[in-house]
Order: sequence, then C-alpha cells, then structure tokens
Amino acid sequence: MQKRLFTLFLLLALLVPALAACGGEAAPTAPPQTGGGGQAQPTQGGATEEKLKIGLVTDVGRLNDKSFNESSWNGVLRARDELGAQVDAIETQDPNDYAKNIDEFATQGYDIIVTVGFALGEATIEAAKKYPDIKFIGVDQFQEEEIPNLAGLIFEEDKAGYLAGALAAYMTKTGKIGAVLGTDVVPPVWRFGEGYRVGALATKPDVEISLVYHSDVGLDKAFTDPEWGKLQANSMMDKDVDVIFGAGGITGNGALLAVAERKDTGVMAIGVDTDQYYTVTEAQSVLLSSAIKRLDEGVFDLIKAVQDGTFKGGNFVGKVGLAPFHEFEDDVPEDVKQKLTELEQKLLSGEVKTNVSPVKP
Amino acid sequence: MTRGRFLFILAVIVVLIGAAMYLSPSTLENETVAASMLATTLGVATPLTLGMLAGLFCERSGVVNIAIEGMMLTAAFVGYTVGAYTQSLILGLLAAMASGGMMALLHAWLSVTFKVDQIISGTVINILAFGLTGYFNDLLLRRRDVDIQSAGLTPTIESLADRPVIGFFFKPIDALSDVSVIGPIFNQKPIAWMAIILVFVTHYVLFYTTWGLRTRAVGEHPHAADTVGINVFKMRYANVVIGGLIAGLGGAYFTLESTPQFEPLLTSGRGFIALAALIFGGWTPFGGWAAALLFGAASAFQSNAQQFGVPISAHIIGMIPYLLTIIVVAGVVGRAFPPAAIGQPYQKE
Amino acid sequence: MTKRREIADGMKTRIAPLLASVQARLGPLAGMLRPILVPFLAVVSALMIGAIVIAISGRNPLLAYAGLIDGSWGSGRAIAGTLVRMTPYVFGGLAVALAFRAGLFNIGGEGQLLLGTLAGAWVGYQLALPAVIHLPLALLAGVLAGFIWGGIPGFLKSRTGAHEVITTIMLNYLAIGLAGWLLNDNRLMKDPSPTNVIARTPLIAESAHLPALIPGQDAYPSASAAPEIVHWGVVLAVLATIAASFFLWRTVWGFEVRTVGANPSAGRYAGINVPRVITLIMGVSGALAGLGGAIQVTAVNYRAILGFNVGYGFDAIAIALLGKNNPFGVLLAALLFASLRSGSTRMQSLSGVNADIIAVIQALILIFVAADQLVRWLYRIRARGLEERTTLTRGWGR
Repeated sequence: MQKRLFTLFLLLALLVPALAACGGEAAPTAPPQTGGGGQAQPTQGGATEEKLKIGLVTDVGRLNDKSFNESSWNGVLRARDELGAQVDAIETQDPNDYAKNIDEFATQGYDIIVTVGFALGEATIEAAKKYPDIKFIGVDQFQEEEIPNLAGLIFEEDKAGYLAGALAAYMTKTGKIGAVLGTDVVPPVWRFGEGYRVGALATKPDVEISLVYHSDVGLDKAFTDPEWGKLQANSMMDKDVDVIFGAGGITGNGALLAVAERKDTGVMAIGVDTDQYYTVTEAQSVLLSSAIKRLDEGVFDLIKAVQDGTFKGGNFVGKVGLAPFHEFEDDVPEDVKQKLTELEQKLLSGEVKTNVSPVKP
Repeated sequence: MTRGRFLFILAVIVVLIGAAMYLSPSTLENETVAASMLATTLGVATPLTLGMLAGLFCERSGVVNIAIEGMMLTAAFVGYTVGAYTQSLILGLLAAMASGGMMALLHAWLSVTFKVDQIISGTVINILAFGLTGYFNDLLLRRRDVDIQSAGLTPTIESLADRPVIGFFFKPIDALSDVSVIGPIFNQKPIAWMAIILVFVTHYVLFYTTWGLRTRAVGEHPHAADTVGINVFKMRYANVVIGGLIAGLGGAYFTLESTPQFEPLLTSGRGFIALAALIFGGWTPFGGWAAALLFGAASAFQSNAQQFGVPISAHIIGMIPYLLTIIVVAGVVGRAFPPAAIGQPYQKE
Repeated sequence: MTKRREIADGMKTRIAPLLASVQARLGPLAGMLRPILVPFLAVVSALMIGAIVIAISGRNPLLAYAGLIDGSWGSGRAIAGTLVRMTPYVFGGLAVALAFRAGLFNIGGEGQLLLGTLAGAWVGYQLALPAVIHLPLALLAGVLAGFIWGGIPGFLKSRTGAHEVITTIMLNYLAIGLAGWLLNDNRLMKDPSPTNVIARTPLIAESAHLPALIPGQDAYPSASAAPEIVHWGVVLAVLATIAASFFLWRTVWGFEVRTVGANPSAGRYAGINVPRVITLIMGVSGALAGLGGAIQVTAVNYRAILGFNVGYGFDAIAIALLGKNNPFGVLLAALLFASLRSGSTRMQSLSGVNADIIAVIQALILIFVAADQLVRWLYRIRARGLEERTTLTRGWGR
C-alpha cells in the first residue's frame, strides 16, 4: 500500500507541473491532425460475420428514463438477445460531448452506432461522413440529404398525438381534456401535444383542452420533474378535466401518477412513447392507452437490416399508434374502437392530415 | 418580517388568483378556478416550506445553509431506496430523515468544528449529493429494477382516517376535503400537512421556549451566549441537524408521498428557491411560509395561464416569481435582517 | 495506529527530498509548489476514496482511472479535448474567484455565461464585418452582457444590501427564461432555416470564428465535429489568468478589492468607495463568465443553442474553491476538472463505471481542500509560518 501510494504520488507530482507548463505554452501540445481517413477508421472489414458491435449514445439523460432513451436501448438489447450482438452505451452528460461520445465508439471499431435524440442530429451527420464504414442510426433525426451509412429513424408523433386526442375526446364525460407535456423546445413533444389538440378538436369541436408545457425551467429540468407534472394534472382534475395525456419523460409520468390517485372519480390517463401500462405500473388502473412510437422496434429493425445487408441511408419512418386499452378494453365502445382504427388508417394513408408543423413556429 | 412585506405578499397572491379568474374561460366557475389555484399554490409550497424550515433552524443558530437542495435530494434518494428494498413506508421515511440529518451533520462538522466557510461547506454538500445519488441510483435502483408498489406506500388522508388513534386527527380533514370549494385545499397528504403544522411548531419553539431563545442567542451573539453558559458548538450542531431532519422530510415528500419514483436531480432546484423563501420571509417561520406560498401562487398562475390558452410565452410568465424575489430582496418592500452572527464560525476566546 | 504513523513518516521522509529536488530543478516554480501541496494531497485522497467506492460497487478502479487518464491525456486529440473543455472552466473559475476576493459569492456564472453566448452569437450572425473587427466585437458583446448580468447583483448589494447569493440565483433563472423566449418562442433570435428543429440561433459568420492555434488548420471542420484542435481561447484563458493575477496584486484596484474582501469597514476608513468596488467587481466577474460564453460560441458551437454550456457556472464555484481563489490555482484546478470531465467518456466505455463518480470525486476533493486541517492531519504536514487564510464569504451579513 505504502509503495503504491508513493508511486502514485510521485507520478502525479511530476504530472502536475508538466501540465501547468502545457497550459502556458499550448502550441506544442496541439495535437497532430488525427488523419481524416484510414488511420482513424476501424480495421475490421468482415467483422459483421462475427459479432456485431453496437454502441448507443444517449441524449443528456439516463438510459432508464422510461422514455425515449430507454426505449431505444431496449431495441439494442433485443439485438443483443436475438442477433447475439455485443452492446454498449455511453450516457451523455454535456451536450458539448455529443461528437466526442460518438467518436469514442467509432474509434473502437464498433459496427453500428445509435444516437438518440434530435439534438444529436448534426453531430451524427458529421460522424457518418467521417466514418463511412460504420452504420449510424439517428433516432428522432430527420435527414435532409441522404447519407448512405446513416438512417434517420423518425416518427410522426403528431399522428400518435392526433389519435390520443381523438380517443380522449370520445371518452371524456365532462367534455374537458388535458395534456401535461415536457417542453415545447423539443419538437417531438410539441408534435405530440399539438397533434393531441388537433385530433381532439376534429373529433369533438366543442371539447375544452388544457395544454401545459413545462417551459418555465431549463431544458435539463423539463423532463425530470414528476412533482410538477403531478401538480398540473391535479390542477386540471380540480377543473373537471377527466382525461389527461402525460407526455414528457418522468414529468409526464408524474401526471399519470396523479390521475391514478384519483381513480375513484372516474378520471383516465393516456401515456406516451411506450405502452406505459408496463413502465408506470402504479397507473395501470387508470391508463386508457398510450400514444406510442415504436422506438425499440425501429432501432431493432434497422440493426437487423445492417446484419442482413439491406441497410439504406435516408429517412426511416417508424411506427406510431395507440397501445392496447388493457383494463379499459370493455369500457371503450366498439364503435369508438372502429372509428379509431379507421382514423389510424386514414392518417397513415394521408387521407386525414394533422397540419401540425414539425416544430413550434 | 415586517407587516408591510406580509401585506405585500398577500396582495400579490390575491392579485394572481384574481388574474387567473379573469383569464379563465367563461365555462369555468370562478370558485372552481380559485379553489384550483389555492390547491396548486399549497402543493408547490409544500416542499419549499419544508426546505425553508430546514434552513431556518440552521441559520437562526448562525450557520448558513445553501445545502438544502443537496440534503433534500439525498433524502429523496435514500428514502425511496430503503422504501423500495424493505417495502416499508415508515422505514423509508425514517431513512430519509436520517440521511438528511447525516448530510447536515457533515455540514456542521465542516463548518462548526473545522470552521470551513459555511457557504463552501454547503456547496460541497450539494455537489456530493448530486454525485452520490446519481452514482448509487445507477447501482441500486436501475440495475436491480426495483419499484415501490405505491398502493401501500403513499397513504391518502382517507386511508389514514380509517386507522385507529391518528384517525381522530385525520377524520375532520377528510370530511372537509369533500366540501366543494375549499375541498382541494384540505385534500392533502400527511407530509404536506406536517409541513404546515411544522410552521406553527417552529414558530412556537423559536420564540416561546428556552431552546429557541438559546438558538437565537447563539445566532445573534455567540460570545454573549457563551458567557452565560450556553454551549455554542452544541447548539449549532443540534440546530443544523434538526434542519437536516426537516430537509429529510422534504426529500421524503418527493419520493414517498408525492410521486413514488426517483430520478437524479428530481428536486429541480427547489432547495435554492426554499432558501430564497427563507431570506424573502426575513428568517421567520410565518414569513418564510408566506414567501413559499407566493412562489406557489406565481407558479400556479403560470400553469393556469397556459391551461387557459393565454398567448404569452410560458418562458416569460415563468419569470414572475424570480423577478418578484429580486424586487423584494432588494428591500423595496420592507427590510429583513439576518441573524447577526450568521456565517461566522465561532471561535472560543 | 502505529502502522499509519509508519506510512505517514515514510511518506514524509520521501516527500521532503522529492520536493527539494523538484524545487531545485524548477527554480522559479518552487514558490508555487508549496501552496499547491495541500490541494494536491486532497486530490490524491479523493481519488483513493473514489477508488474504494468504485471497488465496492464491483468495478475495477484501476481500469476506471486508466480510462480517465487515457481519455484526457492519452492522445493528442484527447489533450485537445481537455484543453478546449478547460477554457470555459478557467473563465468561470476566475469570475467566481475575483468575486470571492472581494468577499462576494457569485453563483450567477451560469446566467452570465448564458447571456455571453447569446450576445456573442447575436453579433456573430447579425453583423457582416471584417474578421479583425468582427471577432473582437463578438467577444466584447459577451463581455458586456456578462458585465451587466453580474453588475446588477453587485449594484443591488451595494445599494440595498440584497444578498448576491439570492439575486444571482434568481438572475440565473431569469437568464434561462430569457434564452428560452429568444431562442424558441419568437423569431428574434431563432434560426429561421426551414429545416431547423432546434432552439438555436443561426450560424455565426466565419469572420467571427475564433481560429485554431496552429495557423492553416480550420479550428473545426464544422460546428458539430469532435474537438480535435486547440483554439485561441485556450491562450486567452491563460492570458486572462495572468491579467487577473496582475490585477489583484499589482494594481490599486486589486488592492481595493482585496481590502474590501478582507474587511469592508477598514476599506471604508481607508477612503475606498466600497459600494463602487462591489458593483464593479461583480460586473467584472460577470464579464469574465460572459467572455467564457462568447468564446464557446465563437470557437466551439458557432451558434448559441438552448441547453448547451449548462453547468459550467456551477462547476466554476468548485474550481475557484479548489484554486484557493488564486488565478494560477484556478488555472490548475480548471485543468484538473477538465481532465476529469473529459476523461469520463473513456472511463465509462472502458470500465462501465457511471460518470457520476466524477462528481463524487470532485466533492471529496473540495471537502479535503476546504477542510485542509483534515489533510494536514492525515499526512502529518505542519503548517509553515503564517498560512494565508482568505476570507471567502461573510454569510448573509452586510
């Protein structure tokens, strides 16, 4: 112990003044340009035949956010289980590290890199151009120009929101519905929220809608504030709102929990992203449905396409829709179910349009 | 806390509720809007009130506490983790309070014994709390996938009203919560009630007991207190730890009572707002409570304005409470004086 | 007990000659070494406790630290990443340290830096000027914005006694609200390109780019590439450190600031205009943070983006404390924190240790630095002569 301690001490003692010097004359420490091409690229041509190596980079946030990071990660985990891939993840702590975190996987010979969130869009494009041999999957990232090794997995959240709004409008007894959302700074959340509004109004023009975005705090807090979500839902229920759509990570989950506490009054909740019947188990008894985007399926399908050699660049539109009604299976009238099915088909075929702009205007 | 400032706060709250009523759609009755505003106001104020009281004990004894946020976050995590593993609400609650107390003990040890600058000690505790809760959340909750089954863990007033002994206290509250207009105000859970009761208890303890007198003496004139035989170190240690226990209760409010799940950084800066409420309220329990309610009312107004579709940016309306705080702290409406010896480590002569 | 004493004695006998030889060799640096001995031992102790925590959680601490070092100093590119990360830390740390020197606690670095990015970006994309004017103007805009955002609490403190801790926290929230409003809710600053989905400003003009240190290399091929090249901001950071040090100890102004920090009533008797000093030093403190923000925009992001450069203002507090409010100490502390943060990616991918351990280590370092008696007692170092004990804050008092 003594020896090791001393060695460590010595090492660091020598390091610190050296580093101080570096800070002073930064010129010599400026690194040589890491070769743009060959040197930095992974050196495994036929590695796909062996074990696929998949790395996932999260947006600022956790893998277990019960929301988009977790759902995407589940797609990667499925690839591990079904395709025998080797998987790994880096949680981003600082947006300035997006590119660096992607590079971390790229320089270690990973075959597929999944980046989660619209904010990583530019960094992913840069990386895809720099590492043409690696396949990139950008979740929630719309691709303007096609890059052969980058697939943007995008979702039409407005359509899922539209369906949720229609369902809420059909099911409300008081004629008042609400939505507790993350911040409108994040486009998918905005599309869910506005789709919900449009869908409800198209179904029942006289329905009253209360929409609240958690835009009064920084982006870092908008999705991790269940206490706030709960207060909003309670405030709405006090005003006779009886169907509440919770969309915004943990913040939205707070709204679902609030509804669950008042289940005796006949209120209902609609979840988001995944079938929240399984992720927020406390709210099972009030969960009417969830507006889902199949992140896990989309990510897995794209990974599988890489293995099968059918991977293509450009945009890949993932599935959206409503989750099963679970405990409300018998409460939702047959004709409503039928109308929703028709509506879903019309939305997908483009016959019904949501007219929601992709981002807050 | 001057009367002027009290009246100012009261006026602002009334104006905010009135404005919400004015902005509400005609289909909503004014009574409903007012009741809902009040309920949200109280809801937002609960963790702020507990945080404020935590800071109050600490600062009245002469120790600055900017670590309320860290203490609450630690307690929220520990309470949830212990609750989840043992499936016992009471053990979770005790663990939450104990962990708040432990963080406070560290604060006291650094700032009273080692005479570290108290604001630095607080900063250290905040950073430590962010790191520890994040790291161990990953280790203990995420990897194991445990969940609190909330059914038995978050009691409602109704369920408590049916229980022996404590039911006696909760029954009338339960009855009141069914009254139409003021119902939402009384429809609160145990820790939320405790926060309000603690405001009164703290006022009594601080101003009508020997303990309170000694606490204030230590915070105002430690040397004089010492000469009359009060152990300054002991009083400061005790009050800092009491503050920590209350902050622990505040942490438990988040994860054991309100929303049974833990997420890193889930306290979302409320500890700092609580600190602002404490100073805003002139280091008195009722003043601080009033300030917490003002924050609550401003926040309630902000969300109600959004619900009613008022076309003003949520970012802009969201600034109201912070602007108000600056105006009030700047002494525009009455002055407040901190305990005289606050921030100074005591050095026996 | 005896075992520990043995270790301690062993260390002492070895440290002393080591220090002597290093001192002899480094000559002018020797004076710098003694004051950093305690912080240095604090770092070592914190890393050891961190290793224990990692080991308890079933991971390999050596692997984690190897990743940490490799990720921050293992390659030219890693070093570049660390130095680039260090830059805002230095400016934030200097901002907090200067305020501390006057007995003021500036928690508002976060908001001041944010406004610096907004102002710098606005000048960067709105104006079309030759680079000689454009770049300095963009940086100056950041300085000015920071000066105002920092000066407000200074003014309020000196005129009304409103404590700067509260007002700076509130101004942080106001800055966040303002940024959200400008970047997302209206067209005042939001990038108007039809495909933009992010709350951000347009790209700044090339004439406002802060160039790479080595001429001929573009600092970054584009805004989102991984930082591989050191930009001039690093040099500016070092210059700012020297300037801050000169200011504090070689100017009348610095003397006034230190006097007010040590004892405001003495300052008053000495004829110093205390309110003016407080207002201006808070403004200067904010200006430094604002400059840090403007440099992030002109050298790294090339635009202001909502949610970027968050948290630097808070890290800056820890950095100032670790650097004992000495500008050169701040520089070293910023380098250390930048290394920890910048290496954490490699640490995560190599050892699977959660990056939150970095915050734990940072807090431990701070505990040991703040309670230096603890370190002295642990390593049996006697305090030599009169150790300067800086007054940092005076609680809520006036």
